[in-house]
Amino acid sequence: MRLLLNVNGMEHELDVRPTARLIDVLRLQLGLTGVKEGCSEGECGACTVIVDDKAVNSCLVLAAQARGKKVLTVEGLAGDDGLDLLQRMFIEHGAVQCGYCTPGMLMSAKALLIVDPHPTEEAIRLALAGNLCRCTGYTTIVAAVRAASEQPAESPSAPPAGEGSAA
Amino acid sequence: MTEDLQYVGRTYPVHDAAQKVTGELVYGSDIHLPGMLYAKLLLSPIPHGMVTNIDSSAAEALPGVVKVFSHLNTPADVYCRARLTPEQELCPADETLFSEHVRFVGDRVAAVVATTQAIAAAAVALIEVEYAELPALLTTEEAQRRDDLPIHPAGNVFFEHEEECGRRAQSADAVVVSSTTTTPRIHHAALEPHVCVVQPHSTGGLTVWSTSQGVYGARTVVADFLGLEYHRVRVIKAPMGGSFGGKTEFILEPVTAYMAQKTRRPVKLLLDREECMIATMCRPATASTIRTTCSPQGLLEDMEVATVLDAGAYASSTSDYAVHMCKKITKLYRLPHYHHRAQAVYTNTPVAGAMRGWGAPEIISALEIHMDRVAGELGMDPVDLRLRNLMHPFEVDPVTAMSIGDGRVRECLERGAAAFDWSARRGRDPGRGRYRRGVGVACGAHKNGMFGKFAEASNMTLKMNEDGTFELGASLHEVGCGIVTVMKVIIAEVLGVSPDLVAAGEADTSSTPFDYGTFGSRVTYVVGACAKATAEKLKEEIVTAAADLLHEPRERLTVEGGEVHVQDDGQRGVAFKDIARLSHMRHSPAITASVTYYATSNPASYSVQFAEVEVDCATGLVAVTDFLAVGDVGQAINRGMVHAQFQGAVQMGIGYALYEHMDVDEAGRSGIDGFKNYHVVNAPDMPDIQVLLVEHSGDDGPFGAKSVGEIATVPTAAAVINAVNHALGTSLSDLPATPEKILAALHPEEVGG
Repeated sequence: MRLLLNVNGMEHELDVRPTARLIDVLRLQLGLTGVKEGCSEGECGACTVIVDDKAVNSCLVLAAQARGKKVLTVEGLAGDDGLDLLQRMFIEHGAVQCGYCTPGMLMSAKALLIVDPHPTEEAIRLALAGNLCRCTGYTTIVAAVRAASEQPAESPSAPPAGEGSAA
Repeated sequence: MTEDLQYVGRTYPVHDAAQKVTGELVYGSDIHLPGMLYAKLLLSPIPHGMVTNIDSSAAEALPGVVKVFSHLNTPADVYCRARLTPEQELCPADETLFSEHVRFVGDRVAAVVATTQAIAAAAVALIEVEYAELPALLTTEEAQRRDDLPIHPAGNVFFEHEEECGRRAQSADAVVVSSTTTTPRIHHAALEPHVCVVQPHSTGGLTVWSTSQGVYGARTVVADFLGLEYHRVRVIKAPMGGSFGGKTEFILEPVTAYMAQKTRRPVKLLLDREECMIATMCRPATASTIRTTCSPQGLLEDMEVATVLDAGAYASSTSDYAVHMCKKITKLYRLPHYHHRAQAVYTNTPVAGAMRGWGAPEIISALEIHMDRVAGELGMDPVDLRLRNLMHPFEVDPVTAMSIGDGRVRECLERGAAAFDWSARRGRDPGRGRYRRGVGVACGAHKNGMFGKFAEASNMTLKMNEDGTFELGASLHEVGCGIVTVMKVIIAEVLGVSPDLVAAGEADTSSTPFDYGTFGSRVTYVVGACAKATAEKLKEEIVTAAADLLHEPRERLTVEGGEVHVQDDGQRGVAFKDIARLSHMRHSPAITASVTYYATSNPASYSVQFAEVEVDCATGLVAVTDFLAVGDVGQAINRGMVHAQFQGAVQMGIGYALYEHMDVDEAGRSGIDGFKNYHVVNAPDMPDIQVLLVEHSGDDGPFGAKSVGEIATVPTAAAVINAVNHALGTSLSDLPATPEKILAALHPEEVGG
């Protein structure tokens, strides 16, 4: 069937099977492999994308359900002026290890900050409850989200941390 | 932290963090090649039996299906998936590509290769297989008893190992304590499922994209199986989403390579979560009985240990695991006499194999839960009992006959107890109400590489580019803990330049020199030491070239800040980039250094961990409310990542203690088919983990650094269980301590009716 899909600000006209999952259309048809598949049952959150400002497990919804809605994947987070603040904080706070959960974590965190720009630690942890990470113990991820929520939105874009910090 | 270090000991992101936060990084599961086919496995639904008939005609008739593979059209040759190098011992070859004799629920029976993943999956469902069932041996006890029913020709108890040292002696008033601890079969739960992609070449060779922890090992296993010369098989380490040991062994590589070779098309085999859980491998389930004799004052006199490991259906690395379970306790405690016997047993259950800690979390859980039992018998504080018996720096581990090096387990315990306020918290009454609080401690020991077993070595080449930047040629296998960054930081420290000026990548058998890979707690200690030695040699080459350019003797030159200066002449010097550029025009087209570094020591790494828990006696649920991990790391190279290693390791250890298991039912099924029924600790359930590093640079690692990633999870489960036992006055030692087990321990009168 024909499907009009707005992904990362771009309109796509696609031919999809009616039963196609959103994750498969994003990964296989649009090549957005930043959307990761870890469990195929909505438990690990690696495939999280934002659909109309809400975090969604893209393995659990049909592509057709996103018709007429705005889909944001991790590939759409960075803009012309560089990485999103959340992306920079994930790098700076060491929240990225194997990185396979990272896109989903970023999208769940982004969806949280859209509705709650200054969340409590408890709210951050709850927002990430559906995103599993086996590397970090979550400490650095929670710290990164907190740091992003504490910075004014118009803070100047800093280069990704490459130099060692004395933390 | 040593004061004069410029880059070592600071905090850096993993080398590919920017590619990971943007979704740019192409992981193994993201690889797509032109003309690529997709494979889907058909797994045995029964735990033990013979395949008597396979009808794949309907599958083959499905449009898009290229070929169906099974034991009917593939070699019956056996191989060992865990073999790292061709002449390696303790690698029983007992596995085939596809089984006629199926030995567990999850054994490979057939595979379909098709043009899409969906067609391959649909076709697998059309294959009809008939089985003649055999009695299934689902526990080690059954398998030991039924030697009339061997799962493999070698017999069910296929390996035994013993260690004994010291002389048995017992004081007249000695106290004897016995306990048995069982540890569960668990899933690694790396977020990226297992995957392998193989491209066959018309030259007769293959390119393999492997998300394994050792490409050279993968190459020998694949090439030997296919009968190819090694230079025709190129194995590339693909970026991977976590491993924790679960991708150390070459589970998918041989079968994917075979299917690619036969179809003459690139083939991708990507497992789903259930397949990863049941059909790759698990941490082995173990049972250890420890009998300790000690003086009334708490000095250990004798320890007798018997361990049984459940290898599951194939031997994999379990025999080596058994050996190493006998080599941990004597790194931790002084023991006048120690005797340990370990047996590895085949059962009709999922295959066991490598997992973070390689036997240490299993045996240390048993040991440290047992030590609390001993403390209880003696009426001693658990910290005091341990302090009386822990090893001192530079003592010799009697089992390996090697020094533990500058191992600081005592300091970890003393400093940790103070930081955790152990005495006061342990002294508090856990309470008798619904919610009870307790604290627990456990010590753990592990190693640094494989010296003593292999010729432990690494080899690297480092070159200076024409603009004064650097490139490392090394077989690095990043599993997510930042080893590429570690190498860059070490090289940067030696050369006195920013780590950003050093490029390093991952392993590729066609272009990077031999290295075993990322396992065995060897990377920082051995590979990192190689990086340091290589950078030091390159620095000499740079000075030689500068001496030529400056017309000065080498002895008058010093290196600082990316330049070579003439001593006592602040005006004269030459920058690295000029040395590189000018040397190209003069005598030396390549400023480069290659080093083979041989490890000559294998000290112990230690961690001591303190847990506080709150148990809900109504539900049996445990909340870990506070946790301190103390690490004897020598010297942190990437400080933030060392902390993060402990934080993630404790998360894994809490799961090991309280939630995770893959027990099988009477039909041989685990009942676990996804994360919905396998609880990985999530963000709301995790306490913030405090980390305290004890740094003494007294060993041979780069700048004194020692291993972190494995030792960090070794004592966690025991610390949590000991805290639960303190809270409840119980003696739980059957992991995981699920709510059912906790309620049963609280209400023993209700158990068994």
